[in-house]
Amino acid sequence: MDYLYLDNIDEFVNDQNKIVTYKWLSLTLGVHVNTAKQMLYHYLQQKRNEGSGTPLHATYLVSGKCVENGSKCHKVSVVREDKLNAVKAKMDVTISVHVYSVQRAELKDSSPLYNTDYDAVKENIKNCNKYSTIRCAAAVPMSSAEVQRAQEMALVPPAGKEISKTGLNENTSATPKPSAKQPAGIMGMFASKNASKSQESSKEVKTEQKDDSSLVETSKSKTASKANPMSNLFGKSAQKKADEKPNKSIKEETAASSTAPAIMKQSQTSPKSKIDIKDEQSKVSSALKVESKDTRNKTKRPEVVDSDDEKMESQQKKRRRIKKPQPDSSDDEVVPDSPPVPNVQTPSPKKQVKREHVSHQEVSITNNTLTEKGYVSESYSESEEEPEPNSQAKDSSSLKQSFGKREEEKKEKREKKTSTANKPTKQPSIMGFFQKK
Amino acid sequence: MATLTRQDLNFGQVVADILCEFLEVAIHLILYVREIYPSGIFQKRKKYNVPVQMSCHPELNQYIQDTLHCVKPLIQKNEAEKVVMVIMDKEHHPVERFVFEISQPPLLSISSETLLSHVEQLLRAMILKISVCDAVLDNNPPGCTFTLLVHTREAATRNMEKVQVIKDFPWIVADEQEVHMEEAKLIPLKTMTSDILKVSHSQLFCTESQKLNEIL
Repeated sequence: MDYLYLDNIDEFVNDQNKIVTYKWLSLTLGVHVNTAKQMLYHYLQQKRNEGSGTPLHATYLVSGKCVENGSKCHKVSVVREDKLNAVKAKMDVTISVHVYSVQRAELKDSSPLYNTDYDAVKENIKNCNKYSTIRCAAAVPMSSAEVQRAQEMALVPPAGKEISKTGLNENTSATPKPSAKQPAGIMGMFASKNASKSQESSKEVKTEQKDDSSLVETSKSKTASKANPMSNLFGKSAQKKADEKPNKSIKEETAASSTAPAIMKQSQTSPKSKIDIKDEQSKVSSALKVESKDTRNKTKRPEVVDSDDEKMESQQKKRRRIKKPQPDSSDDEVVPDSPPVPNVQTPSPKKQVKREHVSHQEVSITNNTLTEKGYVSESYSESEEEPEPNSQAKDSSSLKQSFGKREEEKKEKREKKTSTANKPTKQPSIMGFFQKK
Repeated sequence: MATLTRQDLNFGQVVADILCEFLEVAIHLILYVREIYPSGIFQKRKKYNVPVQMSCHPELNQYIQDTLHCVKPLIQKNEAEKVVMVIMDKEHHPVERFVFEISQPPLLSISSETLLSHVEQLLRAMILKISVCDAVLDNNPPGCTFTLLVHTREAATRNMEKVQVIKDFPWIVADEQEVHMEEAKLIPLKTMTSDILKVSHSQLFCTESQKLNEIL
């Protein structure tokens, strides 16, 4: 057995400062993935025994069974070496552990792991499974006729599929999609700036990608159609209830790993979207699960539901708001370039800020913007003392009410109607964001 | 984007757009990797089909965007020699500098369909390099800040002062203190050359460790 590969790995890791994942190694050296894993392990052992200069960091893939939130699940995660033992201890049965990657740098998140594999897989896309142990005899490439047929079918998709696709698209597609943002926590503070930017950038990205553009249209029509039945079902007074229900559903979703029984219509989309998202996640990197498990779960799960809920609610808000056009003059103080921000600031119920006037921008702008703004300001309200310059969509606020601030909603509504003054908002300092953490 | 024929495309503009987008992503990533700001303000987003960390702080984002917005016309006219991101400690002494040297090949032309995907691949590699750069860099002292500098020509500077591209966002000539770094060590990170642009990303860092040891 020759040990040349040790030199190869050494060169990759130390000289070229690359991240060597087992998948990349197997594709580069043309060996079976299991061999690659063993090579990496052998290399690590050797280097550690030598105790030579440069420190090496490794990540491991751990898979096993565990009980999470009352339900049994098979968990596969990529963990850093320092967390390996903790994760193994947490599992009931550890089924497999192997080296995932070796690198010199101490990685802060899992993105570079995906990045390294991306190009290698892309180049070998036709035979990226050549060295893999996962096989499916039925998985053969489709003939071009079949591909054509599939494309035609895709053009006339069922509504449910569209919605789930859109949900998936929202979460995985290009840059700032506030619907994909975590409402609670620091993220919440970041305001409509993102919304406006994401609006433009998301539009640009969508024109680049063909399938995305079609989904955008479908998503817009979907939200419009969804809004109508929703507005029929919920009147103004019932709005709160409606808000509370998705909140409950979101809460349940965050609590349990299984799909929560959402009461709204969107519920049918959310399970699908969640499943899609989970697939995407596992594809991208299972590191998400472990390394920042709690925060990520919160991010990923409510996302889809929220976006759908938001759109619906923003539509409703839009209808209500039209009655009360409100020029947000003092918006300029806060952020000159961003979309005008309603800057009403009331001390005690911070929710009030959220509930403030929807900037009439919302009225005139497309659903996407509405959705985004609402979503952002929603989480914005989470912050304690820092006043948010961006107090836009109250719609989103309703969503995030899952954190138990329903009474304030009612208060907000009342106050929203009465308070019209544009109180100047303080600009939030970065410290506020830090405290939020 | 309206459909344009190849002749209509303002090639300089396309290149400048691509580059500014890349710089924005790179700057956010450096802020994340070098821990200039707490990681809580960052959020994963997708660029060039890979996940990247972008900040969600509105003012920070606005600052970066405004800066790049002003730099874009310089790149279009090929007047920007380099864009430098300087990381400074509390006393405003530069600790690290990430230098993006930009140059455009003299004969700019769109030659093939695969051009942009190739550029995307190169930029992806750059982003990967930034992600692992902390293997070759020392840790920064706490409380660092950053600033962005552009190296350009005298004439362009005058123009920038005359015509404010963005209102209330003035550019000033950088202090010598910020530009010059004592005992600098050059660590090249990545170079990419393509038909449309050449970007080399190198990093100078100051071996101020001696001074730091005295303080500690």
